[in-house]
Amino acid sequence: MDRDDYRKAFDTLSFSADFEERTQDLLRRRARTQDKERKSMKLKFFRKPAVFAAAAALLVVSVSAAALLLRPDQVAQHHNQPVLAQAFESGNAIAVNQTVNTGDFSVQLTGLVSGEGLTDWSQDVDTSHTYAVVALSRLDGTPIEQQSFDFIRYPLTPLVAGYSPSAVNNWTLGSFASGFSQDGVYYYLLDTQDLNMFAHRTVYLAFYEGGAPSREIFSVNPEDGSISFAEGYEGPQALFTLPLDPSKADPAAADAFVESTGLNCDYNAPAEDLDAAVPEGDNGSVVFWE
Amino acid sequence: MTSCGTDEEIRRIVTEYSTMLLRLACTRLPSTADAEDAVQETFLKLLSSRPAFRDAGHERAWLIRTTLHRASDIRRKAEQRNLPLDAALEQAAPEPERELLSAVQSLPEQYSAVLHLHYYEGYSMKEIGKLLGLPAATVGTRLARGRERLRQMLKEEA
Repeated sequence: MDRDDYRKAFDTLSFSADFEERTQDLLRRRARTQDKERKSMKLKFFRKPAVFAAAAALLVVSVSAAALLLRPDQVAQHHNQPVLAQAFESGNAIAVNQTVNTGDFSVQLTGLVSGEGLTDWSQDVDTSHTYAVVALSRLDGTPIEQQSFDFIRYPLTPLVAGYSPSAVNNWTLGSFASGFSQDGVYYYLLDTQDLNMFAHRTVYLAFYEGGAPSREIFSVNPEDGSISFAEGYEGPQALFTLPLDPSKADPAAADAFVESTGLNCDYNAPAEDLDAAVPEGDNGSVVFWE
Repeated sequence: MTSCGTDEEIRRIVTEYSTMLLRLACTRLPSTADAEDAVQETFLKLLSSRPAFRDAGHERAWLIRTTLHRASDIRRKAEQRNLPLDAALEQAAPEPERELLSAVQSLPEQYSAVLHLHYYEGYSMKEIGKLLGLPAATVGTRLARGRERLRQMLKEEA
């Protein structure tokens, strides 16, 4: 068995001959529909300001930056997710409004909701997801621009007390965040596997600068399993505690999930030489077995 | 990166990534039809969320992660409903290839993805780490463990 065998096996797969053509057609149709919806939404937004413009012009008000933030439902609407937008406005949403000022940033957790079929991404899938909205702005008022802001450099990740940050994080949970900037504020919409199963423990949402969660970024208290930022980590940092309902916890499912990752080792143990576990070829590639 | 909603961008994205993503989805799904669904929905997700990519590598990483995520969703859905996934692709492949495909699909997901990206796509551990958001050392460990499990499974089948 070698690399060629592996490639040969996957080369036997045959897909529909018209897959690319069908997919391009589908995407073009969807793009046209989205454009129509956007234009329609813009019209709706413009009508109301026209009615109230005169009255508003008479008022001299002082508003805080927070008052200008988009609501979570508006963030979901921006992503063309009307069902999720409704969920953020419903009784199922958890009211959150936590702000942390860190480094150059103000980080505000504004929305949290869980459920099945809340996006067209997952409507036909009976697995529940958790969605969170976080607004990021600069403390000095400098706008965060979509094109220049490197949002991958500043990830959001769920973490759970008592489990290694290597085992429960945005990768193992299959999370992904989408983002956009409006009026100088950057909005994250995090979509992750349902976090309620962990609700018997402290569940965090961390904002930081860097790559995958590691001991350089997070530390775990060996006494109680609580998670905090590592002492030597100096980047921007916010660790929100999510107010989940403990009655929705599923400890067995949580343990099974963590077990399935194979990564819930002792986080504080000295690092083993993991690279040594894999024999390297001359060119740095991993050697397949003979 | 330019907007992904134009005809030109749609053509580029679909042409450039389809084959790679379809094979990747098949590490988690034994049906090529399900793999096609997973990849199509990944492209739709790209169109609806329009993430801002800083470069081509970032775009590729997003597509890979999203495809894996979607393939897992489809697989879990079938498992929860106790539905057998259509194993059409296995039937079509000759015996040794079928065994290998089946073994890869039986691996825990964290192993099959790194194995495939390394052994089929030829990415280094460091590159896979960037694509999947993992430390290179973790990728190395998963490669070693995945390879060992695959070896055991194929030995048992033989």
